[in-house]
Amino acid sequence: MPALNGLLWLISYWLIGEVVIHFSGLPISSGVVGMLLLCATLAIIGRVPASIAAAAQPLIALLAMLIMPGVVGVFFILDELAGEWLAILTALLLGTLLSVITTLWLLKRLMGRSNAR
Amino acid sequence: MPASLLSTLTTTPLFAVGLTLAAFLLGSALFYRLHKPSWLPAILIAALLLAATLAILRVPYATYQQGATWLTILLGPATVALGMPLYQQLPRIGELWRPLMVCLPIAAMLAASYALMIAWLMGSSQQILASIAAKSVTAPIAIGITEQLGGSVALLMGALLMTGVVTIPFVGLGAKLLNINDDRIIGFALGLNGHAIGTVRAFELSPTAGAFASLGMSLTGILTALLLPLAWRLLGIGS
Repeated sequence: MPALNGLLWLISYWLIGEVVIHFSGLPISSGVVGMLLLCATLAIIGRVPASIAAAAQPLIALLAMLIMPGVVGVFFILDELAGEWLAILTALLLGTLLSVITTLWLLKRLMGRSNAR
Repeated sequence: MPASLLSTLTTTPLFAVGLTLAAFLLGSALFYRLHKPSWLPAILIAALLLAATLAILRVPYATYQQGATWLTILLGPATVALGMPLYQQLPRIGELWRPLMVCLPIAAMLAASYALMIAWLMGSSQQILASIAAKSVTAPIAIGITEQLGGSVALLMGALLMTGVVTIPFVGLGAKLLNINDDRIIGFALGLNGHAIGTVRAFELSPTAGAFASLGMSLTGILTALLLPLAWRLLGIGS
């Protein structure tokens, strides 16, 4: 069962992340620590073992479904946030527009000319 | 639904898991039937279906959420799994490390700060600021960040959806204004600002745009996850 084998690896890395956070007190989530450790491990081995690919690919494909219970939650807090929507919507819309323009402008300045293919 | 039947069904998490699976599959099917509209992602259709079902069956959200833990628990290993595509993109990071090293911290920081600044100026509470701070970060990582900051995950999810959906026309508009037609830049901007939703769009443009979008998405996620909670603590916002 290569996928189960890979799943055990992924869970172990997540648990290692918990241990790292417990001892270091860093305000990071254990998933991110585990992700960086997995990436570092793969870089050291120089390839993706079949078992890890067998577990990682389906899990990544399912991400959208795994976050759905959280997404649904937003419809149940609509009343609680009644007076706050204008600020939230303005922040998200205007904030995203500004950050998109900044990103595009910065990247154009930094990599537009030098390595155009 | 009669209360006795409902309480029988909700004693097992399989009810919540089954509802989620059904809504997800139906949402995806509808999305393809509607010819993949970029303003209405599959996840939004599925979430609307699920919310409507819960409301009709009168299932309290807390009850549903408890059962759905059986699915959300997998977010942990799924986040770790993102280390695999990240490893596969390492060669691209090597190629362009200089412009990326300069642009990424600035752009990722601004993606959070512009929105926080506007919300703060408009008088939003700390709880709301903490909930929308990770708005440009891919969901599994953003959930971890928001829990660290003490925000509401439900509001974060709404913010993520909104940000992802509006990033697509904004990038199109910005590229036109600044006269940019380099797929690498457009893809990177889509992934950096619009996380998974922007990345999906980038893959529709071209494989190059897609690769740079996933690069932008993963690096923004990591950087924000490492820096935002730290900055939050230093600024004393959360305390």
